[in-house]
Amino acid sequence: MGGYGDVRMIDENGLRMDGRKPGDVRPITIETGVVPVADGSCRMVWGTNEAIVAVYGPMEAHPRKIQRQDRAVIDVAYNMAPFSTTDRIRPGFNRRSREISKVTKDALESVVLLELYPRSKIRVSIEIVSAEAGTRCVGLTAASVALADAGIPMTDLIVSVASGKVNDVVVCDLNKEEDNYGEADLPMGVLPNSGELVFLQMDGNLSPEEFKQAWDYNVDAAMEVHKLMVKALKGGDN
Amino acid sequence: MSAPTVPNLLRAHLSDLALNDARLDGRSKFEGRELKLETGILPRAEGSAKVTMGDTIVLAGVKFQLMTPYSDRPNQGGLMCSCEVRPLAGRHWEAGPPSPESIELGRVVDRGIRESGCIDVDDLCIIPGEKAWQVILDLHAISDDGNLFDAFALAGIAALRSAIIPAERFEVGEDMPLKVSKKPIMCSYHKVGGRFVYDASYKEELGGDERIHITLGDDDHVHSLQKGLKGIFTADEFAEIMEHAKVRCAELRKIVD
Repeated sequence: MGGYGDVRMIDENGLRMDGRKPGDVRPITIETGVVPVADGSCRMVWGTNEAIVAVYGPMEAHPRKIQRQDRAVIDVAYNMAPFSTTDRIRPGFNRRSREISKVTKDALESVVLLELYPRSKIRVSIEIVSAEAGTRCVGLTAASVALADAGIPMTDLIVSVASGKVNDVVVCDLNKEEDNYGEADLPMGVLPNSGELVFLQMDGNLSPEEFKQAWDYNVDAAMEVHKLMVKALKGGDN
Repeated sequence: MSAPTVPNLLRAHLSDLALNDARLDGRSKFEGRELKLETGILPRAEGSAKVTMGDTIVLAGVKFQLMTPYSDRPNQGGLMCSCEVRPLAGRHWEAGPPSPESIELGRVVDRGIRESGCIDVDDLCIIPGEKAWQVILDLHAISDDGNLFDAFALAGIAALRSAIIPAERFEVGEDMPLKVSKKPIMCSYHKVGGRFVYDASYKEELGGDERIHITLGDDDHVHSLQKGLKGIFTADEFAEIMEHAKVRCAELRKIVD
């Protein structure tokens, strides 16, 4: 959070720099079957974010120490391509990517019917090839579409959206400038059919009222994005 | 790459096919897969390209950094070519430090581009001894159905040729296109069923033996060669694939802008 309060991100009409109203999400396109050698895959373009996700499995879990006798494990690898940001990212070990991989795995394991595949592993690879802001949300949302594309049984899709605060105004789905100068960020993973949550992070500074607004924006946006996900999975245009 | 258990049945099948000069997907031995090249597809990269060859898909992105020239070459910038095949690209690729296979991929592509002299490193110097551009070409596999080498090399040269040096962002002058004077092109051959085939699929790689990579420049000059994997080949075999490479590289050069 930059917290540069003097940069104006909301105009006199209450519109954001890219013309959106506070509760609007950026334009989204979703495509499945984009990695032909994978069992399931998804390409999601969300603003200037682009995530490509491939799912392999269920397959034999190795090394054997990761096997669980009563269920499958999900192995998530989130990675940002070196050319995905303005300044090149050096490939290799990275604490941020490790954490995002872990929370993404925790979310996905909450919806996949793991007990159907004891001792096996499902591999989910998330590559961010273009980053704007909110890549973890795009990665998690695209991963749930890719799992569905692979035909893996789940209780629900996951829609992940973040809201935050710029110039003391709560806004949904922060873009890059808003993220840089923003004062808070609340990413959530919503199950659209039940309204339950499987992913939650937050950093920054929100009053109880602002927090409630951010939460509501996320849930409303999730319902909108969910329609696009279903359409993509059923082979419709979007 | 984890060593997949090579099914002996696949090897035997490929040998049977070779007797009739046939391949798994019906191609003739020197026939390539359908190929598509797109450039300018990555919004955050200064140059980019995507190559689709059958079910093999790769991306290449160019980024620029400022560097201090090496003391023995104060008038030169740098070129770096880096390749990382992430687990996204296939079930046989695993997470972790770069495997020897992906390092070989990056280095062979790097040599072809570097040795062709298509990028004049003297041109990359801004202030001798103080400031120069480092050009970084990152190769990223999306889907590996064999012959990542040729896909990377083609995407790499196309991405470089589309690159704009972001001088304004670094406050060292005006943005300008990166000068890339030549078009080095790689052709790869894999020994499958006892004879070399061009543009092997993943199954052919799996049930095949050694491979040979040839990079040719604009005037058929040879810029890089690499023999990979276990296997023996004759001078006559090499002469035959070299003849094909000259023809194929000329064809591919036409689709690169």
